[in-house]
Amino acid sequence: MATLTVALIVGAVLFGIGLYGALSQTNLVMIMMGVELMLGAAMVNLVAFWRFLHPEVYAGQMFVLIVMTVMALEMTVGFGIATGRFRAKGSVEMEEAGDLKG
Amino acid sequence: MIQAVFTGLFGLAAIWFGVVVFRTASMVRSALALLFSMAAIGGMFLAMEAEFLGVLQLMMMATEMAIMAIFMVMYMMDPGGLGGMDMTHQKRASLVAGALGALGSLAVAVLAGWGPVEERVPAATAQVRGLGIEIMERSMLVFETAGVTILTAMIAATAIAIQRRR
Repeated sequence: MATLTVALIVGAVLFGIGLYGALSQTNLVMIMMGVELMLGAAMVNLVAFWRFLHPEVYAGQMFVLIVMTVMALEMTVGFGIATGRFRAKGSVEMEEAGDLKG
Repeated sequence: MIQAVFTGLFGLAAIWFGVVVFRTASMVRSALALLFSMAAIGGMFLAMEAEFLGVLQLMMMATEMAIMAIFMVMYMMDPGGLGGMDMTHQKRASLVAGALGALGSLAVAVLAGWGPVEERVPAATAQVRGLGIEIMERSMLVFETAGVTILTAMIAATAIAIQRRR
């Protein structure tokens, strides 16, 4: 039980840090870093639940693979938008982006 | 007990480097701090005996964060952080939202009754086999959907990023 609680506490704190980062940063790449931290927190929780509650059911591990995929997709699309935005406006500062129109 | 200690140590490292991501002015340091945070999360997976996921996390995040560092140097106005630019806004609201999110999750983590804890876990090889069977049987549709989504994201990202000819 102790390890499960430790992992969930770590997940909760990481989620809070990621949420702070995603909301407070003005740069697109830094916002993506905050989102990555939140997804990392979700993965910690998923692995902890799998390990300590249902280690015989592998849907938990499968879910972690899906979250990893989401992380990669978020980076792919995020950097695509960043590249498009940089080409159009010369900056990826979100303060200057009223909309995403190139 | 040893498992809890190692999970906690890796967790502390993940939290510490997670804080450093938003504390340092240098973008390269930020990317490296995120890399170390993700590696520490991989360490937590290993400590929790999810060997396959731990190794996958370490390998995937090492490459992902290295790519992120390159993009940061490319697109940031002050990648070295030497100009002392403040790249934050709505700090107080973000701090409150982050604290509330963390406290809410902590309350659920500590106060919820999670039921009996399993002490034994299948061996690493049995885990990989079980995961493979899960992917190829019950979760096949989910896995295939993830594959199609990756393809869609690749096409979408390329379409957005490609230089338009006028």
